[in-house]
Amino acid sequence: MWQIWLLPVLVVGITIALSVPLGIYMASVLDERWRAPALRRWFERRVDTGPQDWKQYAVALLLWNVLTFIVGFLILQFQAFLPLNPDGKGLLSPTTVFNTLCSFLSNTNLQHYSGEVHLTYFSQLFLICWKQFHSPAIGLAALVAIVRGLRGDAHLGNFYVDLWRATFYIILPAALVVGVLLLAGGMPMTLEGNAQVTTLETGALGTDDAGQAKPQEIARGPVAAIVAIKQLGTNGGGYFGPNSTHPYENPNGWTNLLEAVCIILFPMAAVVMFGRMLNNFRHAAVIFGVMLLFMVALLGWGVYWDTLQPNPGLAAQPERRFEVADSTAPGGKIALTLPAVAALPVDQSLGNLEGKELRFGTSAGPTWAALTTCTSNGSVNCMHDSLNPLAGLTPLVGMWLNCNFGGVGVGLINFLIYLVIAVFLAGLMVGRTPEYLGKKVEAREMKLAMLAFLIHPLMVLAPTGLFTATDWGAKSTNNPAAHGFAEVLYEFSSASANNGSGFEGLADTYGFNDNPSPAPFAPHWDIACGLVMIFSRFVPIIAPLAIAGSLAAKNRVPFTTGTLRTDTLTFGFVLFGTIVLLGALTFLPAAVGGPLAAPQGPPPLGGE
Amino acid sequence: MMAHLRANLWLLVMTLLICSVAYPAALLGIGQTVFRDSANGSLIAGPDGKPIGSRLIAQPFTGDEYFQPRPSYVSYNAAATGGSNWGASNYLLRDRVARQLGPIVKYKDGRPVAQDIEAWFQKDQFQGQPGIVAQWAQAHSGLAAAWVKADPLHADYVASWIKQNPSASESKLEELAVPFFISYSKAHPGTFPVAVEQKAEKLVQSIKKGIEIQSIFFDMWRQDHPQADLQAVPADMVMASGCGLDPHITLDSALYQLDRVATSRAAQSGRPAAEVRTEIEALLREKAAAPLGGLAGVKLVNVLEVNLALAPRDGAARSSAE
Repeated sequence: MWQIWLLPVLVVGITIALSVPLGIYMASVLDERWRAPALRRWFERRVDTGPQDWKQYAVALLLWNVLTFIVGFLILQFQAFLPLNPDGKGLLSPTTVFNTLCSFLSNTNLQHYSGEVHLTYFSQLFLICWKQFHSPAIGLAALVAIVRGLRGDAHLGNFYVDLWRATFYIILPAALVVGVLLLAGGMPMTLEGNAQVTTLETGALGTDDAGQAKPQEIARGPVAAIVAIKQLGTNGGGYFGPNSTHPYENPNGWTNLLEAVCIILFPMAAVVMFGRMLNNFRHAAVIFGVMLLFMVALLGWGVYWDTLQPNPGLAAQPERRFEVADSTAPGGKIALTLPAVAALPVDQSLGNLEGKELRFGTSAGPTWAALTTCTSNGSVNCMHDSLNPLAGLTPLVGMWLNCNFGGVGVGLINFLIYLVIAVFLAGLMVGRTPEYLGKKVEAREMKLAMLAFLIHPLMVLAPTGLFTATDWGAKSTNNPAAHGFAEVLYEFSSASANNGSGFEGLADTYGFNDNPSPAPFAPHWDIACGLVMIFSRFVPIIAPLAIAGSLAAKNRVPFTTGTLRTDTLTFGFVLFGTIVLLGALTFLPAAVGGPLAAPQGPPPLGGE
Repeated sequence: MMAHLRANLWLLVMTLLICSVAYPAALLGIGQTVFRDSANGSLIAGPDGKPIGSRLIAQPFTGDEYFQPRPSYVSYNAAATGGSNWGASNYLLRDRVARQLGPIVKYKDGRPVAQDIEAWFQKDQFQGQPGIVAQWAQAHSGLAAAWVKADPLHADYVASWIKQNPSASESKLEELAVPFFISYSKAHPGTFPVAVEQKAEKLVQSIKKGIEIQSIFFDMWRQDHPQADLQAVPADMVMASGCGLDPHITLDSALYQLDRVATSRAAQSGRPAAEVRTEIEALLREKAAAPLGGLAGVKLVNVLEVNLALAPRDGAARSSAE
C-alpha cells in the first residue's frame, strides 16, 4: 500500500529538489549578465541579429519555424531514398507527413504513425531527434522574451541568440546526462537493423510456408538518444509506437523513475527561472504552489481511480435502473433495467492492469498519466485508453488546463494568461485599475489575453463537434458510446494542448503511401489535427509576446498600499479559482458527455 | 534580411550537426563500448551462439511445461507493438478475459469449472430461457459477426444456410450472423459450430464440449452461477500489457502456473512431481524481485529467464535417468 504513494512522492520530490538549481542556472544562461568566454561569444555573434521588439522577435520565431518545416518535409518525404534505412522502409503518405511535421514543429509530437514500423533511422535522428531539441528551446526563448517585456526591458532580446543558448547550453547537456543514465539502465542504442531471434520453445510463433519455425523479429535502433530528449523537452514523440510502455524505451523501474522526473524537470525549473529573472521568488513561489496543487490533485485522482479500484468491466455490477426520455413512449419516458452482473474471477488487487506494464511499480501508470498531461509531454507508460473511466479524467483535465507546469516555456506562458485574467478579475472586484508587476493591464492586453485563452477551447471543442457529428469521428473509434466520444475529445484536446498523448484506440494512421488498408478517415484526422496543433501553438505564443511588448512600453505605477499584491496566499486562491472557473468549466459539458458518462449512464451513453 | 538569413542557416547547420549527428554519435559510442550488451537489445545467446530472445521482450510460450507470459494484443510481434486500447465499457475486453478464464478457472476446493460449463451448455438453458447460442448472438452481435469472419469455412457455412433460407437476403454475411445463430440454435440445441480439422480435412462441426465451449460461454455460465465460489486468477494472467511485450509476470501468477509446469516437467523427466515442484518453486522465489529494489510494486519474475533456467535442469534430469 505505501509503495503506491511512494513512487509519485519520489518523482515529484526529486524533481522539485533538482528544479531549483537548474532554474537558477537557466536564468543565468538565458539572461546573461556576465561576460562569456571568447569562443562562446564568437559563436553567438554568428546568429545575433541585434535587439528585437516583440514584432521582430515574433517574425524571427516564425521564420525559423517555416525553415525547419521545409527542411523537415524534405527529410521525411524522401526518407526511402536517404541513408540509415537498414529495414528498407518506404514512402509515407502525404497526410501522414503533413501531420507529423505539424506535430513536431509545434512540440506536440502527436504520432499518427508508429515509429518502429514507419520511420527510418535517418528520419528518427534528423527529424524526430532534431525537432525535439529545438522545439522546446523555442518555447523557452519565447518565455524569456515575455519575461523581459514584463519587467520592462528596453527590448525583448534576440530570438536566435535565445534559441542558441537554450538548445546548446541548457537542453543538450541535460540530454547527454540523461542519455548516459538511460544507457546504464539498459536501453538500446544501435544502428543495426531488427534482430531476428529463434524462440526458446521452437515454433511458439507458428511456422512459415516451408514448415520452418518463425523467428521473433525485434525492432530496435538509436533509442536512448531519442528517449532522453523526448522526456526532457516535453516532447513525447516516442521511438516505438506504444512509447514508454515498450521495454526498450523503458527497461525497468529505475529508468521509469528517471523518465518521469524528466517529464516535469524543465517545466518546474522554468518557474524558478521566472522568479530569478524578475528577482521576485515570492511571486514565483505562489505560481509554483498553485501549479503543484493542480498536479498533485490530478495525480491523486488518477491513482485513486485506477490503481486502488478494479477495472469495472470485469468486476460485479449491481442491478441498475434508468429512465430514458423518449417522445414516442407513453409518459415520455421509458424505463430501462440493466441486470446485475457477476464478477469474473480475477484478483484485481493491483488495480486495473489492462494496458499497464508490471516492471515500473503498481501506481506508475496513472502517476505518469498525470505528469505527462499537466506538462505537455504526451509520452505514456500505460495505455490511457484503457485507464478506468474516471481515471481517464486525469489526463483530459491536465490537457484542458494545460498550464500546470505545462510545456517547456509555453506552460508558464499559458499560466501567465490565466494570471493576467486573474489580476483583471481581482481588479474589477476591488474597483481599481488592475496592475501586474507595476504595469496597468488595460483593454488591449485583455483582448490579447482572451484571444490566447479562447483559442484552446475553440480548437478542442469545435473539431470534436464536427468529427462526432460525422462519420469521420463516429467510424474511427475503438470503443463504444461515451468512451468512443472521449477518444475523439481526447485527440483534439491533445492536439490543441500540444500534448501528443492519445486514447490510442482511435483509427487515425495512414502510414506508408502504398498502405492497402489505411484507417478510413486517416487523412481527415491528419489534416484536422495538423491545423489545430499549428494554431494552438503559435497564437498562445505570439499573443502573450504582444502583451509583453505593450506592457514593456508602459510607465511603472508606484507601489502603494492599494496595489494588488501578487505574492500572497490570497492571490494564490484567486489564481486557483480563476483557473477552475475558466479552464475547467469551459470543458465541463464535454467531460459529462465523455469520461464522466462512460461508467454511469444507461445505454446509449454508458454501457456496451 | 541578410542577417536573418545568415542566423537561420547557421542555426540550421549547427543544430543538425550537433543534435542529429554529434549527440547520437556520442551516446552510440558510449553505448557500444561501455554498455554493449544492453545497447544491442539485451539479447540472450542460445547454445549455438545465436540469439534466442531478448531479456526485455516477451516471447510466447504455449506448452504446459513452460511458464506463460501475459497475453499480448499483438501476438508478441516485436516489430509492430501495441495494446488493446479497450476501455472498461468495451465488452471485447471482458470477453477476451472470460475466454482465457474458462478453461483454467477452478472452484475454491480445487475442482476445475470446465466440465460444469460443458454440462450446463448441453442443457441449453440461460436465465431460464432455452437457446444459449441464440441469446449469446443477440447480446453480442459483434462477437457473432467476428465468428463469421474468423474462418473462411464459417463464412461458407453461413452462405449455405442462406441458400436454404432465401428470406434472409441482406448483402453482407456478417449482418446475417445473428439470425443465423438464432436459427442454428433452434436446429442444433446444445451445440456450437466450429471449424475442426479432421483427417487432413477441415469442416464445420457442431461441438458439445471442448475449449471453445469452455471459453466462449464462460461469461454466460458465470451469470447463471453468480454464487459459485471460484478461485480468483491473478489479474496479470488475463490482462494485456500496453506494448504487448511485457517480459514479466507477478510471482503470484507464476505460482498459479506452478502446478501445471511441475506436473508436465515431472511427466517428461519421470521424477516425482512433488520434488520437481519444490525445486521450481525455489527457483521462482530466488529469481523474483520487485521494481525499484522493492520500493514500488510487487515481486515479479522474468518469464524467459525462468524458462531458460528450467531448461538445463530438465536436460540434466533426463541424462541422469538414462
